[in-house]
Amino acid sequence: MADRILKKENLGKLVASVNDKGGRFIAPSLDARQVVFKDVTKAEEIVTDYILARNSYKEYVFPQTEVVADFTVEKHGVDLKSREVEARETVVFGARPCEATSLSSLRAIFTWDYIDEFYTKREATLVVITVACTKADEACFCTTVDLSPETRAGSDLYLLETESGDYIVEAMTDKGRAFVERHKDAFSEGAAKAKTLVMPERIGTIDLEKVSARLKDKGHYDDQVWARLTRKCIGCGACTFVCPTCHCFDITDEGTAFAGERRKNWDACQYDTFTLHASGHNPRHYQYQRWRNRFMCKFNFYPGKFASKGCVGCGRCIRVCPVRLDITEVMEEFSR
Amino acid sequence: MEEILRKKAKELLESGEVKVVIGYGWNRQKTRTSPVFITDAADSDRLVWNPLCVNNLSVYLTRKFKDIQALGKPAIVAKGCDIRNIVVLITEAQFKREDVYIIGMACEGVVYRQELWKGELKPEIMPTKCHNCDVRNPHLADFVVGGKSSFTPPEAPTGMVFDKIKAIDAMGQTGKWAFWINEFSRCIKCYACRQVCSLCYCERCITEKNMPQWIETSAHPRGNLSWNLTRAMHLVGRCTFCGECERACPVNIPLNLVNQKMIQVVKDSFDFRSGYDEKTHPPMIVFSPDDKDDFIK
Ligand code: SF4
Ligand code: SF4
Ligand code: SF4
Ligand code: SF4
Ligand code: SF4
Repeated sequence: MADRILKKENLGKLVASVNDKGGRFIAPSLDARQVVFKDVTKAEEIVTDYILARNSYKEYVFPQTEVVADFTVEKHGVDLKSREVEARETVVFGARPCEATSLSSLRAIFTWDYIDEFYTKREATLVVITVACTKADEACFCTTVDLSPETRAGSDLYLLETESGDYIVEAMTDKGRAFVERHKDAFSEGAAKAKTLVMPERIGTIDLEKVSARLKDKGHYDDQVWARLTRKCIGCGACTFVCPTCHCFDITDEGTAFAGERRKNWDACQYDTFTLHASGHNPRHYQYQRWRNRFMCKFNFYPGKFASKGCVGCGRCIRVCPVRLDITEVMEEFSR
Repeated sequence: MEEILRKKAKELLESGEVKVVIGYGWNRQKTRTSPVFITDAADSDRLVWNPLCVNNLSVYLTRKFKDIQALGKPAIVAKGCDIRNIVVLITEAQFKREDVYIIGMACEGVVYRQELWKGELKPEIMPTKCHNCDVRNPHLADFVVGGKSSFTPPEAPTGMVFDKIKAIDAMGQTGKWAFWINEFSRCIKCYACRQVCSLCYCERCITEKNMPQWIETSAHPRGNLSWNLTRAMHLVGRCTFCGECERACPVNIPLNLVNQKMIQVVKDSFDFRSGYDEKTHPPMIVFSPDDKDDFIK
């Protein structure tokens, strides 16, 4: 199929088409002075001048809080009923190429030793429409983790902005092609000239192979480097919540003593209670040890287990961190 | 000022008077400041001082940071407003005055958020606290860096936070409720507000008490409301309006409004402002026979 054009005046048509067919259209829009991914019903709500949305779109496949079961406590025992996910077409418009690749990282985890249907059913109906970057900021480091604004992996549709504000549409997957077919009235034929993409400079002092190799060597575990570089971490967990690949959750029950719901809530390795044992012992006693885990997860555990990336270089964790703990500074240290 | 600061830090570490200097340093690109912990006198030159030094480093003096406490006696680089938090920590017996060496920084204000910095400190990028600051000359310090500031705060407090509070007060009960429910609905329960606050130093926050679960951990409207209200109540008469919680909140919940409102209530009811005198206990923890309310007598 030849490339299509999505004219800016047809964006509204696309939003309406998705909504009319019972789907959700998620796009960057303004909320409390921030650009965030959220449901939109009109093209006017969509922001086009942004670097990345504050939140990752993971919340549409892995909600921050969701009921997984209902329970009642009866005389004979506990009656537990699982909830079914009813996923509908969910379109994420305006993802960036780095974060588009993060879906395969989430999939790796949620289908690894157990198929988590709460995730897989949502992913099956998710369409990722990436808009390639024409702007970056100093926190962006996709090129350092071997991705770039030209990366197409993970995108169902890959869009290039044109000088006139339209989009050149490249359908990358069957899902993407089916999407264009389903909403074909919004797309047109034609040719246009794309804007030049930005290319964040690769941080030359970082060598991912070296980082992984050093982390594999257990000797680093008690290295003073962790304390030195990361003891400033206050353990707020904000980095993990905005990170497109962080995926930890906790199960909690809410309700009365006799009935209630079981929820799956985001959790984070940055919290002290994450590894707190019932005995009171905590194997990650200090905050820098918790931070070490986050880094290990991304640059040792992930590459060791899966083909997908633990970190896609979106820089969200750097932007959001109240103490400006920059993950690339630690990557640099471990590249030595 | 930076030179004097570095020299002092070096001196303190060399003499062994302190074991660590908690201060500000640059990030790699030298575009943002970030906390640094200097333990080796030779590293003292990493310390910086400029209007990007927004963080309230007093959080690192609390028992949340056992690894920092284990280093030994700290010196801390602190602005007047940060010193107010240190004062509260002392009045709440978290440590003694002599347990910390305070390097007070004479201050002409900071940026509200570092990303607003364009090379110049203009009034419109400064937080409300700076426009009304009466501690630009550090009120409690072992050593002061910088000349005396001649700034006098305005008679009637000015700035966005005060304007906004007036507007919310005028909304009436239902309006106020709707305003806050909407703001809190964005909360993602990351607890950044708590973690960044030097006065939230509980070893086990009430949110983490789960037998029973006092506060629902889910980020749904009910859970968010109970979390945000509980946290606010726990800071009454203590919060100094340093603004760290609002700065840290990743979803821009205007926590400064909550805090300043509580400060006004405490001022009106108890004629007390936290963080000025390390010898006066906060009103919520003292019993006074001449309390102006008589319900307790
Ligand atoms: S670790 Fe940071 S830069 Fe990497 S994917 Fe997560 S938020 Fe993005
Ligand atoms: S955002 Fe920063 S301070 Fe918060 S947990 Fe992450 S690294 Fe630590
Ligand atoms: S409140 Fe005062 S001491 Fe604090 S940063 Fe502003 S001007 Fe400086
Ligand atoms: S402004 Fe926020 S962070 Fe600062 S003392 Fe008050 S509650 Fe704590
Ligand atoms: S920092 Fe903001 S989002 Fe996080 S828990 Fe506090 S109020 Fe909620």
